[in-house]
Amino acid sequence: MPVLTVNGTEYSVPAGIRLSDALARANVSTSWPCGGLGRCGKCRVKARGALSEPDVQERQLLSPEELAAGVRLACRTYVLGDCEAQAAVSSGEEIATRGAGRVAAVRPAFSRYGAAVDLGTTTLAARIYDASGRLLASGGRMNPQSRFGADVISRIQASMDGAREELAACVREGITALLAELCEKAGLSPAELDGAVIAGNTAMLYLLTASAPDALSRAPFEADRLFGEETDAAALALPLCEGAKVYLPRCISAFVGADITAALTSSGLCRSDKTHLLADVGTNGEMALWHGGKLRCCSTAAGPAFEGAGLSMGMQGADGAIDHMTVEDGELCAHVIGGKDAKGVCGSGVVDALACLLDLEALDETGLLDGDPTPLSGDVSLTQKDVRMIQLAKSAVCAGMYTLVERASLTMDDVSELLVAGGFGSYLDLGSAGKIGLIPLSIVPRTRVIGNASLDGASMLLLDKALRAESEAMANAAETVDLSTDPVFMEQYTEGMFF
Amino acid sequence: MSILNEISENLQKGKAKVVKQLVQQAIDEKIPVEQILDEGLLSGMSIIGEKFKNNEVFVPEVLVAARAMNMGASLLKPLMAEAGVTAAGKVCIGTVRGDLHDIGKNLVKMMMEGKGLEVIDLGTDVAPETYVQTAIDQGCQIICCSALLTTTMCEMENVVKKANEAGIHDKVKIMIGGAPVTQSFCEQIGADCYTPDAASAADAAVAFCKATA
Repeated sequence: MPVLTVNGTEYSVPAGIRLSDALARANVSTSWPCGGLGRCGKCRVKARGALSEPDVQERQLLSPEELAAGVRLACRTYVLGDCEAQAAVSSGEEIATRGAGRVAAVRPAFSRYGAAVDLGTTTLAARIYDASGRLLASGGRMNPQSRFGADVISRIQASMDGAREELAACVREGITALLAELCEKAGLSPAELDGAVIAGNTAMLYLLTASAPDALSRAPFEADRLFGEETDAAALALPLCEGAKVYLPRCISAFVGADITAALTSSGLCRSDKTHLLADVGTNGEMALWHGGKLRCCSTAAGPAFEGAGLSMGMQGADGAIDHMTVEDGELCAHVIGGKDAKGVCGSGVVDALACLLDLEALDETGLLDGDPTPLSGDVSLTQKDVRMIQLAKSAVCAGMYTLVERASLTMDDVSELLVAGGFGSYLDLGSAGKIGLIPLSIVPRTRVIGNASLDGASMLLLDKALRAESEAMANAAETVDLSTDPVFMEQYTEGMFF
Repeated sequence: MSILNEISENLQKGKAKVVKQLVQQAIDEKIPVEQILDEGLLSGMSIIGEKFKNNEVFVPEVLVAARAMNMGASLLKPLMAEAGVTAAGKVCIGTVRGDLHDIGKNLVKMMMEGKGLEVIDLGTDVAPETYVQTAIDQGCQIICCSALLTTTMCEMENVVKKANEAGIHDKVKIMIGGAPVTQSFCEQIGADCYTPDAASAADAAVAFCKATA
């Protein structure tokens, strides 16, 4: 077998393997947002040796200088024989494990120790509790399925192309490793866990349970499984004690998942007599409106702009990412995670950047930048094309909220509170989000960030078994609003693209 | 400023009512309809298309400009039919089966109309047979397929297959586009042309129609 040397370490890999698949076996941090189509160019690595010739996608995306320097797209390069690659080492990323919910043990679904897991498209987050409801450990890591693509659609496609078991094994191993790490922190063995709840969007639960996701792949996008059920931990290859059950909360529809059900549970939204909006913004924006005893939900494809993946210099919220920006004395001022030179910009940074550029009048209301690219900090800049990506994404989210509100014959003024859930939301500056029109400006003063509400909800469903029936009934009664055919959405979407 | 320039300028700003008034005025002044179309409406839309390609303007500007163009064109259409003026080419367009995204498809349609092509819009979730049958029935030179999902772009291959089976692929070009589509995918499925943006798609379509005219 050929030898692939990654950062000096040798790995034996089968001849003909895709370089990205080979790199996934080594401990390096590379991303494959487009799932190997050769479109996004984010999997650039330096590689040399017996490799396939650069193909048409590589020649399009890589500059002559890059090609001459041995830069390749890992997803388009095949290992033919011995070769060598250099890639960044995986770094610890900031993953939101905190929520705003009060979690207490009432009727726990376990007798010794239990685990609550938020299975996100990008990240995994988990907590370990004892039967008194005491939090013993919490932590997160990247969802290892990312190598099949950053968005759910790429992964659904990979599953349909024959990687169904592989995708399931991949995420199960990720959860297993995370639980092992947390158990070690808490001083227990994973085999002492005797109950778990795993919340995630509908596609993530399909992939976890190795269910055929064909129904999620095309119109009319009607899920044939909505979960809301217990399954054996052993069936999911999770290292809990023998006979332990894992509860998967009920999903609302194909693209409004159990993560939203969990977030709704933790926020207590559906027990309120007021009108509330809840939004979880990631690659998929999921939104819910509670009004007059009725729950309306929708989802909108925001794309990877807020995860950083869709932008020319985008990155996740890791070391070197600009995560916040302000205007000081008429100049842009960037905050960089880790305090060193900026290497890229993450979702919250980009939202701030646009808000600042609007303030400085370096960006007009139609989205036209004064300079293309516009420098943000050091070598990091924002291109006109980046701004266009964000315009599409932010408008999709905002228009989704407006559409839900209009469907209920209300206006934004009737909404007493907007709750923003999810990792991206936790780091978001709400003022900037309102200014660029990611959330309606008028509702900013009534907006509350609730962190990882999905994990909060999973914890509550773990610690109070009686909440399960209530959450299932709530999910079951929810109305899903289809935005793709909604004229109100289309109008709001195109109008909302301006600033 | 000549009235045709004024039409073009107002179209670029999306002033649909003004464009309609000016087109009526131009007709009343006995300016040939073809000239009003080419030097007024299409010239304005062509500038918008170019700016869109360069990221200088965005979707909303294109939408309002196209609305203005359509308002103006609605006055010209009956006169053109009377005068026997025909479109530069005929295209059928749709989003493939299983996919409901239509913004990209609509932009391509507007850009193509802005180049003087006649475009038959098949909507979204379009079966491969529908593209092929429409091309045969309506005598289209081009079939345009759009897909926004990795999971639906494979339908484009079925459109190519159906066109081959029907024996029309030597006469009808198949153009593809959409976020997950690439040049290598186009080659792989045997489609004829991939363009990364709507304005380039319109340029490619016009070039093809000219070549076969």
